[in-house]
Formats: sequence, C-alpha cells, structure tokens
Amino acid sequence: MRRETQNILLVLLGGALLKISFTGTYLRYVKPSHQWLLITGGFVMVLLAAVSIVRDIRGARDEDDHGHAHTARSAWLLVLPVLAVFLVGPPALGADSVTRADGNAQSVPSTEGEGSALFPTLPKADPIALTLSEFSSRAAWDKRHSLDNRTARLVGFVVQDGGQTYVARLAITCCAADAFPVKIRLTGKDLSRFKDDSWIEVDVTLRPGSATRANEYVPSATTHAVQRIATPEDQYEH
Amino acid sequence: MTEPAIAEAAEPSIEEPPRRWRVTSLEVLCGVLVLALIGQGWFADRLAVPAIQTASTVFVAVCVQALPFLVVGVLISGAIAAFASADLLRRLLPKKAVFAVPVAGVAGIALPNCECAAIPVARRLIQQEVPAAVAVTFLLAAPAVNPIVLVATAVAFPGQPSMVLARFLGSMMTAVAMGWLWARFGKMEWFAERALRRLPEHSDGRSRWGVFFETARQDLVDAGGFLVVGGLTAAVLNVVVPRSWINTLGEQLVLGVIVMAVLAVVLALCSEADAFVVASLSTMPLLPKLVFLVVGPAIDIKLFALQAGTLGRKFATRFAPATFVVAIMSAIVVGAVILP
Repeated sequence: MRRETQNILLVLLGGALLKISFTGTYLRYVKPSHQWLLITGGFVMVLLAAVSIVRDIRGARDEDDHGHAHTARSAWLLVLPVLAVFLVGPPALGADSVTRADGNAQSVPSTEGEGSALFPTLPKADPIALTLSEFSSRAAWDKRHSLDNRTARLVGFVVQDGGQTYVARLAITCCAADAFPVKIRLTGKDLSRFKDDSWIEVDVTLRPGSATRANEYVPSATTHAVQRIATPEDQYEH
Repeated sequence: MTEPAIAEAAEPSIEEPPRRWRVTSLEVLCGVLVLALIGQGWFADRLAVPAIQTASTVFVAVCVQALPFLVVGVLISGAIAAFASADLLRRLLPKKAVFAVPVAGVAGIALPNCECAAIPVARRLIQQEVPAAVAVTFLLAAPAVNPIVLVATAVAFPGQPSMVLARFLGSMMTAVAMGWLWARFGKMEWFAERALRRLPEHSDGRSRWGVFFETARQDLVDAGGFLVVGGLTAAVLNVVVPRSWINTLGEQLVLGVIVMAVLAVVLALCSEADAFVVASLSTMPLLPKLVFLVVGPAIDIKLFALQAGTLGRKFATRFAPATFVVAIMSAIVVGAVILP
C-alpha cells in the first residue's frame, strides 16, 4: 500500500475516533471516562498522518527510508472500522445480548459472606431511583432486605423472552466487549405490547426471595406504573 | 471494422508511459469508499440481524477501546527508535540474559501499558539490539503487572488482597519463565525479517524527529491492521461462545481451570476489565479465576493476531502456545501457595 493511501486511512481512522467522541456515540462502545483517551488517540493519529503528508510534499523524507521497503497489506483492514463507524454506526448492545446470556451472575458480590456491608441504607425517597445492578444485587444478597416494601423507579429497555417481560440493562466495566446483562422480571401487568429494546421507566416493588440460585438470581418485581421514555444517551450502567 | 478500433486503443499506451495507467492503492481506496457509500443502505439491511448487530458493536468497541492504547505504544516505540540508541539500552541492561530477564519484568511495572501497546515496543527493543529474551519478558510483564491493572484487581476483589498478590506473582512468573525459556531455546530466525530490519542511524536533531514520526506512523499502520483482525475474531467469538459455559463448567476445579484459560484467550478482554468479569462468579473457586487473570493479559486471540503480524507468524505460532501453557502452570503454582 502506498504511503499516501496509508496516510489517508490514518486521517479517516483518527477522524472516526474524533467523530464518535464529539457526537457522543462513543458511549455505545466504551465507558464515559474513555472520551479523552479517544480524543487524544484520534488527534495523534491525524497528526502522525499530517506530519507524514507535509514531509512528503516538502520532499524532506529520505528516499531510502524504510517506509518504502515493505507494502503493508494488513493495513487494508483499517478500512473496516472506518466504514463501521462512518456508515453503519452499530447501536449500543440491547435485547439480543440479554437473551444470549442466562441470568444475573454478575450481581453476585465477590465476598458473599459480607453481603450486607456492601449495601448502605437506602435514602427515604419514594419511589427511590435505583440502577438495575443495584436493585438486582440487593434483591439477591442484601441480608437486611432493604428493598422489601419499597417502591423502586427503574430505567431500562424491554426484553420479551419466553412469554415473560423483563426490564434490562447492560453493565460495562471498560468497553462493550465485557458487557454483562442485568434483568428483572416484571409481573402483575400485561406488558406484552412493549417491543424488545423499547426504553421504559417503571415503578416496581420487589417480590422478596424471588432472586434465587435456581433462576440465576433474576429477581421478580410487581409492576405499579410503566412509562415509555426516550433512549438515554448513555445506555449502559457502569 | 475491428482493426481501426484496436489501433485506436493501442495508441495511448504507445504515446504515454504505461505506469500512468496503473491502478494504485489510492484509487482502490477511493473505489472502496465510493462503493461503500453507494451500498450503504444494502449493507445496513444485511447488518440488521440481531446477532450480527451485536457482533459489529463488539467489533467497533474492541477497536475503539484498543486504538488509543496502541497509539501510546507506537509513540513509545518511535521514541525508542529515535532517541534511545542501541548503546544506551545495552548499558542499562545487565550483560547476562539470566539477570537481564528479571530486570525487564520489573521494568514492566514502571511502564503502564495495555497489552496492545507492548507489542510495538517489544519489536522496537529487538530492533535496537536488546536481547530477544528481554524483549519478550517485557512484552508479557508490562500489560499484567502495571499499577492500573493491579488497582483494578484490588477493586474487583474487595477484602481479598491475596488475589492481587497472586495475580502479580503469577504474571511476573510467566514473563520471567518465558524470558528464560527464550534465552535457552529461542531462535532469532523465528522473527519475521521486517521485524528485525535496522533503522538507518541519524545524527542530527531534525532527522531524529523525522525517525520518531515515521516509525510511529509505520508501526501504527502495521499493528492497526492486525488489531482489526483481533477485533473481528473477538467479536465473532463473543457472540458464538455461550457465556453459560462459565456458570455450568466453571464450578469444577480441573475443568474450571481449563475452561477459564480457554475463555481468557477467546474473550480477549482488556486487562483493566477482566478482573471485574471473573470477580462476579461467586460459585467458582479462586484458582480458575486466577488462571483467567494470568492467561488473559499474556495471550489472547487479539494479541496472537498482533504478534503474528508484527513479529512474524513463525514466532507467534511457537510463542503463543508456550505462553498459554506456562501462564496456566504459573497461575496454578502461585495459586496453590498463596490463595486460601
């Protein structure tokens, strides 16, 4: 591959990183704190290409530089992420990833015995806004049963699976490759009108003892009110 | 009728040099971009299948997550090429490989590196006549024993500091053992010829910066392509390999060790995130988790693609399986001694 082509590819790739970090779509792929990394990385890529282009135009580069010597065929593959970002822009992970996994294995605290120490007392608010991860780990592991008889307000997308309706969210630690699903079964109302991946805000009360090892710690909750909402900018929990 | 047409068609090639008509990569790239623009709707339809959509999201995520770290790696690599002469590096390291290898392992602590960044750096070290045994030790140590990874591990395993120590020792042992193995059995001819090619020496300051930019750019183009291969593989496996393996098979100790070692390779998680993924599996004993944490940063599918591309296929097909076995054994030995 010619140097000119490599430089154009680098500009495009760096541009792709800058584009997703400025438009906010980077949140579909990585955690929020990676934004400055993407901006720096994209900027350096464009800079490296620009320096090379300027040097080529000025003719400052020695003709015997090693860049001439080998043709990097692998470099063609850099087209793929460029096309994926600019033309396709894959969506954030959703219902498909949730149905692919079995249960809420991730909500298990690593030190099972000290469960209640991990759960500070909940604030007084009613309904109380909780992330699905928090709700589901309290449901499974909190020995003080802090969720019993409390109304929780949850935000997530709908997953219809095997005749049941779930509200679900994906939690990521670094990037979407390590995402794990958190889901809560909604009971007490017929919610089959909601399609997969439609975002809802739902007020629920936990059915105590519903998250067991047999159902892979997926808690059930009685539904009080459901409201369709717009897709949030950051669709993951962290 | 046909004769004049042939004459006409042949005419330009006589008058003008033939190379003006050669299709270069530049035109191919333009063609690809135009085709992609025209076919955008068609592609979008093909990709609308949920499984493919999930895989393409994971693919972009792996690339986007790893590229900034790769950029850090090529900048360090460029700096070594331009500013650290072979002489200087030789003076910094002990003469004998037996002693130089542990030094390289410890140097890994000081250079907080993602695993993708370590590969261009290791290649540059070899080019600057650092013994290959030292470079491979650094390659394995840097992504696994740096402070960021160890802190992440401590956060993921609250109340279990032994896990952090075990991970540190397991990874360090893998790196040093592989370095010594290389010093004894490794052959320079396994490296691809291009990985060893020396850069022209430059003396004045201006061309040093030239070397820096050119090396960094070239490394980025080379390694970037292979990172994409790794990203594609990881994305496919992420969708195809069921996570339920972890839950059902992981509970047995022996089977758990094997399953977790294989998963570490195929899932290709970044070393800052892997601790959180395994920490959540409460039913699994600690040893298979440790195996996952020691194997993952040392060798996974993405790293294999990068190694094969940057350092040579012959090198990767020997080095990767050896690393896999050594990493599992190191984790088991350390786990047996340290873990409760």
